[in-house]
Amino acid sequence: MIETMIHAFVGPLTETFFQKALIGGGIAAVVCGVVGCLVILRGMAFLGDALSHAMIAGVAGGYLFMKLVFTVEAHAPSMLVGSLLAAIITVSSISFVSRVSRIKDDTAIGIMYTGVFAAGVVLVSVFRNYIHIDLVHFIMGDVLGVADADLWVAALAAAAVLSVIVLFFRYFQLTSFDPIMAASIGMPVVLIDYALTTCVSLVVVSAVSMVGVILVVGLLITPAATAYLLCDRLDRMMFLSALFGVTSVIGGLYLCIWLDSSGGGAIMLFCTFQFIVVLFVAPRYGLLANWMRRRRMVPQQLVEDVLTCVLRAGPRGMSRSSIALHVNASSERLAKALRSMTREGLLEQTDGDFVLTQQGRQEANRVLRAHRLWETYLRQVGLAVTEVHRKAHELEHVHDKESVAYLDDILGHPVRDPHGTEIPRDQNSCIPGNVCSISLLGEGTSATIEFLRSPAREIGLETGDVIRVGSREEVDGAWQLHLPDGRRIRLDHEQADAIDARIVTVPENV
Amino acid sequence: MDRPTSRIPAIEVRNLTVSFGPKPALLDVSVSIDEGLLVGIIGPNGAGKSTLVKAILGFVKPDFGQVLIQGNSFEHARGKVAYVPQRGAVDWDYPITVEQVALMGRYGHVPWWKDLGSEDRHRVHEALEMVRMADFRHRQIGQLSGGQQQRVFMARALAQGGDILLLDEPFAGVDAATERAILDVLDRAKKSGRTLVVVHHDLATASEYFDRLILIKQRLYAYGEPERVLDPELLSEVYEGKLRAFGGLRGRGDGQ
Repeated sequence: MIETMIHAFVGPLTETFFQKALIGGGIAAVVCGVVGCLVILRGMAFLGDALSHAMIAGVAGGYLFMKLVFTVEAHAPSMLVGSLLAAIITVSSISFVSRVSRIKDDTAIGIMYTGVFAAGVVLVSVFRNYIHIDLVHFIMGDVLGVADADLWVAALAAAAVLSVIVLFFRYFQLTSFDPIMAASIGMPVVLIDYALTTCVSLVVVSAVSMVGVILVVGLLITPAATAYLLCDRLDRMMFLSALFGVTSVIGGLYLCIWLDSSGGGAIMLFCTFQFIVVLFVAPRYGLLANWMRRRRMVPQQLVEDVLTCVLRAGPRGMSRSSIALHVNASSERLAKALRSMTREGLLEQTDGDFVLTQQGRQEANRVLRAHRLWETYLRQVGLAVTEVHRKAHELEHVHDKESVAYLDDILGHPVRDPHGTEIPRDQNSCIPGNVCSISLLGEGTSATIEFLRSPAREIGLETGDVIRVGSREEVDGAWQLHLPDGRRIRLDHEQADAIDARIVTVPENV
Repeated sequence: MDRPTSRIPAIEVRNLTVSFGPKPALLDVSVSIDEGLLVGIIGPNGAGKSTLVKAILGFVKPDFGQVLIQGNSFEHARGKVAYVPQRGAVDWDYPITVEQVALMGRYGHVPWWKDLGSEDRHRVHEALEMVRMADFRHRQIGQLSGGQQQRVFMARALAQGGDILLLDEPFAGVDAATERAILDVLDRAKKSGRTLVVVHHDLATASEYFDRLILIKQRLYAYGEPERVLDPELLSEVYEGKLRAFGGLRGRGDGQ
């Protein structure tokens, strides 16, 4: 049993054709993987596909040229030059068409590569009596029959492409991430674009004899896409992508020997398999991780209910069982919510009781402020005092900044809710150093006047004055400002809105 | 705060005309921005605000006209202009960390055969500190909030150290706290003598934030102090009555 296993793995390694396939495939996969990263980040996958097809015309052209002019049969270097020429013609005609007309990039790619491909097909069929190469070899590839010449071509192309990418890494990174900035610091964006397309053409040319025209795109983009699911840095993504390319060549070659299948097919099958596995299990961007995250998520409404309920309990906090009495949720969901809130730093547990953290208190105050403003609003539109709490409890979850600010303003910035309890101030804007309108400041806040608009110009205040906000209740809901010289200035709502002040200090526990 | 006009303007745009296909994006725009000003570009959607920014950056080739940066043509002013892109124009899934984005600000200072040095890293760290993003430097940029994302690109522009900063809609879709923080950074950049040009969409805050406003819709409609540019008649001509409430826009700038 073990012996057959060893034989299955070691056996092929002793064969020359297998060694050559490993080396050739490995080289092609590394360089495909590295370039593929840039290809997928630039959204150029279709271009890779187009290039590989257009190359058929180049191969046929190079072959015919050597045969008809020099009567040399199947001259490999000229076929290579031919396919590079075909690739360059395709790319430049694509960019020409999309630049001078309203036709979009992907359409231009579709038009030009099928055109060049068709030229190759016509060329081959017209001169079919002269052509003695097997085009199937180019379409399907033959990794197990890699010739030494192909190996050298692949190695040279790989060395050239890799050195360009390593040397100009910053250039490729910036032009693919932010071409506008690249242009503004004087990077030759167009030249870099051409360099990248030339690299893609070279890579495709060197890999095509192994996996064939149809599958080469897969080798270019699948390992890169696999790495993309795992990495947050381009350099690591390139490394991992090359690694995935090599493992798919190794895995695919064994698969092909064991199943006696096509080499290129087996490599791409293994490569796709790797991708699917990673798609599921990738720690951050995988489907499984996504699913787990969603399972752990707690409804925002429940979080807010817990927050306000613990806030009302005061600084001593609340035990789990008493929270359960106030919050409408099954004990299992509540436990999950409490765990998640502790993890997110909203709650802390001290001697079994839950208390709010600084962040939790701020969040709870925000919701409570929305709740009490909604109560005031509902009372004003005529709901009975006994009813407003229940209704506001549903509405308090509408607490985005704009809505609450609007509500506060149309209610005239009330101090107390219909039950007579104080409405918490907006603690996100009312912090020292911030500038906001006087109407938002709570009692006891001191601030310097920054800006006076029209209804507040002629009331005796000057920019730079230091004021302290007095009690609103003494003056029937109007605003009262205390100045250092003992003056008191009374403001109505419009005037208070028209003054901006920079907050110096706010009283504790508002 | 006006400086003598005899000095070379930070940005001088002369008869700039840019078109994409048959449609003109900018038509014969000429404007000269003095050093040390905070300038807002306003105008309706599709007015060519971003195109003007891209032309100043040298990314869009003009059909006609030219842009001079501190009196020099673009080729001689490389890297003088730093750029903060619109949030919608960035690929937030790109595998890159906060620190790497900020490091891009130094790319123009290092020749291709050299690595970034410790001096560069130091400047980048300082810039990240300044926008309070140093703690997030190893995060991938897609995992930040909108305001944090904006600040990363501010850090990149600061690390670049250009004399001129161009920002494309930095206040779009950020919360009030971030808006405040961005204004703070703009203010400090201005105090250190930089010229700032900001594409802005909110007319209500335009007079409060900027020293000068540029009003464009393909053509240049006005350039000058906010009170002059935010003229209700002019605005209703440019916006074709799409904005109803122009009242009170002008008053807010008077206090400055």
